[in-house]
Amino acid sequence: MAEQGGLYKIQSLRRRWIVYHVLEDVLLSVYAGLYVGALIYYLLSPTLLWGIITFPLVLAIMLAMNRPWQMSGEKIAAFLNSEYPELQESSQLLLIPAEDLNPLQIIASSKTADVLADLKVSHKPFAKRLVVAFISLIVATGLIWALGRIFHIERIFYGPNRPVAVCAPATMPEKVLPQISGVAVTITPPAYTGRPERTQDKFNLSAEEGAAVTWHIKTNIAIKKVLLIFNDKEQLQLKNNNKHTEWYVSKNITNPGFYQVSIDGKLSDLYYVQVVKDTAPVIRIKSPKQYTYIDAGEAPKVTIGAVLNDDYGIANATIMATVAKGRGEGVKFKEYKLSFPQGFDTRKPLYDVQKLINLPTLNMEPGDELYFYVQAQDTRKQLSRTDVYTVSIQDTAELLSMNGMLAGVNVKPEFFRSERQIIIDAEQLLKDKDSISVEKFNARSNDLGIDQKLLRLRYGKFLGEEGEDAIGAPGNEPADPADFSNAKKILKEYTDDHDNAEDAGFFEPAVKAQLKATLTEMWKAELQLRLYKPQAALPFAYKALRLLKDLQQKSRSYVAKTAYQPTPLKMEKRLSGELDKIIQPVNRQDIKPPADQLDALKKAVNVLEALKINPALSAADSRTLQLANQQLSLRAAAQPGAYLPALNAMRRILSAPKVNTRDINVVESALQKTLTTLKKMPSSGEGPADMGLSKQYYKNLKQANR
Amino acid sequence: MQGNFTYLVIAVCILLALGFAWQEYRRVNKRNLLLRVLAVLLAAASLACIALPIKYTGSVTKTGEHNAILLTDGFNTDSVNADSNILTTDAAIKKAYPKARLINGLDELSQTDKLHIYGYGLNDDELAQLDSLPIMFHPANPAAGVSHINWNGRIKAGEALHVQGIYNNTSAQKVKLVLRGLNTGLDSVTLPPNTRTNFDLKTTPKTTGKVVFTLHADTSLQGSIPLEITPVKPLKVLMLSASPDFESKFLKNWLTENGYAVALRAAISKGKFNSEYINIVQLSLDKLSSQTFEKFDVLIGDLSVLNALSPAETGALKQEVADKGLGLIVRADSTGKASWLQKQFPVDKPSGREPAPAALIINSKNSVSKLNYGLAHIIYQNGTQPLVKTAQGRVLVNSAISGSGKIVFTALGNTFSWTLSGNKQDYSAFWSVLVTRAARKDGEVQNSIGFLSLPYVNEPAQLNIASAKTSSLLINRQTTASAQNPNVPFEYSAAYWPATVGWQNVEQNGMQNSWYAYAKNDWAAVQATGRISATKKYADVHKITDIVTKQIQQKVRIDVPKIYFYILLLAACTFLWVETKFS
Repeated sequence: MAEQGGLYKIQSLRRRWIVYHVLEDVLLSVYAGLYVGALIYYLLSPTLLWGIITFPLVLAIMLAMNRPWQMSGEKIAAFLNSEYPELQESSQLLLIPAEDLNPLQIIASSKTADVLADLKVSHKPFAKRLVVAFISLIVATGLIWALGRIFHIERIFYGPNRPVAVCAPATMPEKVLPQISGVAVTITPPAYTGRPERTQDKFNLSAEEGAAVTWHIKTNIAIKKVLLIFNDKEQLQLKNNNKHTEWYVSKNITNPGFYQVSIDGKLSDLYYVQVVKDTAPVIRIKSPKQYTYIDAGEAPKVTIGAVLNDDYGIANATIMATVAKGRGEGVKFKEYKLSFPQGFDTRKPLYDVQKLINLPTLNMEPGDELYFYVQAQDTRKQLSRTDVYTVSIQDTAELLSMNGMLAGVNVKPEFFRSERQIIIDAEQLLKDKDSISVEKFNARSNDLGIDQKLLRLRYGKFLGEEGEDAIGAPGNEPADPADFSNAKKILKEYTDDHDNAEDAGFFEPAVKAQLKATLTEMWKAELQLRLYKPQAALPFAYKALRLLKDLQQKSRSYVAKTAYQPTPLKMEKRLSGELDKIIQPVNRQDIKPPADQLDALKKAVNVLEALKINPALSAADSRTLQLANQQLSLRAAAQPGAYLPALNAMRRILSAPKVNTRDINVVESALQKTLTTLKKMPSSGEGPADMGLSKQYYKNLKQANR
Repeated sequence: MQGNFTYLVIAVCILLALGFAWQEYRRVNKRNLLLRVLAVLLAAASLACIALPIKYTGSVTKTGEHNAILLTDGFNTDSVNADSNILTTDAAIKKAYPKARLINGLDELSQTDKLHIYGYGLNDDELAQLDSLPIMFHPANPAAGVSHINWNGRIKAGEALHVQGIYNNTSAQKVKLVLRGLNTGLDSVTLPPNTRTNFDLKTTPKTTGKVVFTLHADTSLQGSIPLEITPVKPLKVLMLSASPDFESKFLKNWLTENGYAVALRAAISKGKFNSEYINIVQLSLDKLSSQTFEKFDVLIGDLSVLNALSPAETGALKQEVADKGLGLIVRADSTGKASWLQKQFPVDKPSGREPAPAALIINSKNSVSKLNYGLAHIIYQNGTQPLVKTAQGRVLVNSAISGSGKIVFTALGNTFSWTLSGNKQDYSAFWSVLVTRAARKDGEVQNSIGFLSLPYVNEPAQLNIASAKTSSLLINRQTTASAQNPNVPFEYSAAYWPATVGWQNVEQNGMQNSWYAYAKNDWAAVQATGRISATKKYADVHKITDIVTKQIQQKVRIDVPKIYFYILLLAACTFLWVETKFS
């Protein structure tokens, strides 16, 4: 029995181990689910679905990897042996059936079973990882909560595409006429939205522009006539079934505003109609930049990448391109209409499109310019277009021409010709590439590289750079015996005399900087030529040439033409002409200041202020408020959300016998919102009511001072 | 029974003391025996003292019997001597402090020879009823809330309303002070806890007429701010220009499109002028005389034109400015001739590079956009008041008084570029300041109404009215008697008892005017502050003369507080308990 107890103990330990490990896996998968769910919730979409999916997935994977149920009793026994020396390394004997044990083992096992029965195996080694998992889960929960609440991670990461709640006016509790037992408003959005129709049981409605709205009104008693009154003007009569209890009518909603239900002349509260306008598509060009300049030697290609965005769907998008050729008066334009390779058949609200334009296919040559803009159309045929972008190709002909060089002052022309020559030779080499052997091609490329190097060294002299083979280069010629122990000569070999005034040109710092930049370009060109890549060397060579040309232009001076000198004026003759025939122009007119649109509202404020003190409405005040009511209703028609409560309150003030202060406050805040700030205009100060005393003082003072 | 109880208690306590002392004595451990027995006796004695009323005879100083205490709002219960004759006129105080006796009026107090006033005190009117009765004032702490307040109650359309005052925040929380008008928060300020803070709230009302704004501290109403916004009356402006230029053209357009009357004379050749008359009848501007100047409120002219006026014209202009108050705005140009106009405004034009365009400070407010103001500026002299300055403090527009008129001198000639760039705001701010400063005072004299303290409903209000002409005074269509100030002939005072909250109508010389009667709970802390200072002032004048008050020594039996015996008992028991623990 003792052995049975020991075996049982080992089995229970094994179960404990399994339970702890399964629990640990569960905690870890909750941990994973929490993180994945939170990241997706904050960054992508506000649903918890992903977290819920992640949890069982991770749990299954972890269980499959760990397989805690495969824990064997032997391992537990080994663990016990190593942890508790009093078991005398024989706990595994308990696992062997009693029949298979030899007498010695039986004694050992019974002894062990007794010890094991009294042994209290601590939970610590089993639960260690569980505790770690639990603590990290708590920390993770706190962290995720903090991310959302304190750091507002979503504000950092959310782009403009995040779905946000529509800013509808705060839901006001609707007051419905008592005769109405039920209402169903069906809104059928127009086709361009691609949305299904929906039904609501509220009168306040918000519909897409152009939506068809159908009202079904049920009344609890038979009534004669039901009207919908829009913006106080337009009346819409409802049709009925034969029992006069069910009424219906349809209307296309294009303008925002408000409406009332009139049942047998009894008017309901005002309900708002909000119109969700369709915005034109938004186009954002990612590449190229507004002005792109393609240097000679670069690939004449442009990738136009754009993001198109619309609230319902994009129907079409095109690139309108114009190529300008020639210069001066001989400019010719040619227009192209290019379409994006991606189709717009799916009419999605968001497209990311790209188009690669090979400029030579548009007959573009060096010196030509490409202007283009992108135009997009949404499902409602609303067009929008971007700014004009420009792509121009560098004109190599201009650069290589000898204009100016021949005519102007001859500033070391042979140097410039050299760079030009290198370019021409490199281009010739590229042309000949197919007809000559690789060795010859490489040799010629290398030769060009040497030319480039020589050129660079010559320019380097202007900057005071020494030649690469100047210092310490062993001369091949035998030394002159007369120079033996000539200290000067030896010194010259080993010293650096770069600040020599004859070597370094006296250039301005800006010129020097440009020369340096030229040398850098030459370096790069040489590198490519030495690597047998004349094609890659060309852009650098062109750049070097352009910089050199700029340098050459800078060294010229310009003298303006001498100014025109007028003959001196005869002062005595000035303003001595006869003016008696000249009539003096006189202009008289009356300009009335424009009538104050808000005058009615300003007067209404005064009436309301008086009503606050004395809540009784006189006939004159009532008229003033009526005028303001008209103004407010115009505004409510345009912005029902903002002005409808005020309009309702105004009507209550006008109709109720005793005015409610809350209504006055609602109207006043709407008026404050409507009124514009008064202009500051010059005015005269008020004279003092002093019976002319101060004037008298002034007079007497003046006389006394005399 | 009472005597028996005493003996009973003493007997029980002696028995207890003996019993416990015997117990202590019998204990085997004889340590601290004496102390223990003492503690037992002490405990028993304290027990007896707790049960029995222990009294001693002492002498108490009492003040005179005829003293009366008048409780007013804000008094502190702890500071009132309960034995005195406590009176109040306020039913609310009677309810809160039932010992006080309610009296009908302050005249009932005339019998008392010494009156002590607790709380915020009385207002001027009530103090007058005391009939120079000597008092001693014990002021309460200043009330929490707005203790001082002022604002410009009569403003022109487009002017800003400034509400300034002091808030006494006694709470440990911050307070948000909100100026509300038309049910909208217009300006607010957050005030620190436990301090008195000055505040300045401002807003430009969007409407004209009479409105009542309110001031709230957090959500509690502090008081109403009645204000009257009068529409601007268009002025008549005469412009003399040396040549047709943009500056006068734009200024003319701006003024006329707002309904102002403008007559413009621009020289186009020698002795030839281009004249324009907008919103005004045509008149000859070839020769200027005082008859011409009389018709206008402001004259805007180039310095060269004004210098080139004939001596007769100059004389007429000088007289018109000095005696009749015509406003003169002089636009500086390159004429360097020193004339009477330029005496106070020397212009300096240093050579050098023109400064970069910068925002100007117009009447201590920064302009919104920049202006290229050039090199010329006015050298400041004493007796002048700069209107427009640069950020470096160079004066561009200056003004000075000349007799009863004002001269404004401007070195800026290109303000029209503000209009050209679409900035109407700065342009109108600039010219509004200039023209308003210069403009001739309104011929129609408005009577002003002043008050010594805020007028409240159902309280007498003392009106001080400045009026140019003597005539009967009608308040709310009731003829009210007014008394002329013997020293200042144009000042009248009248008393009125407003019956309703709100605007009160005043009619005098056929001119309508109005003032506001506040509700009882408006500006409670301001009222309290006013009462405290009024009562203090009264108390300073009517001091209680015999400073050494009659003091009566009286023998009184006084209870010994029980707490000492409880402490003794506790100490004795504690000693006994601790002693057993250590032995």
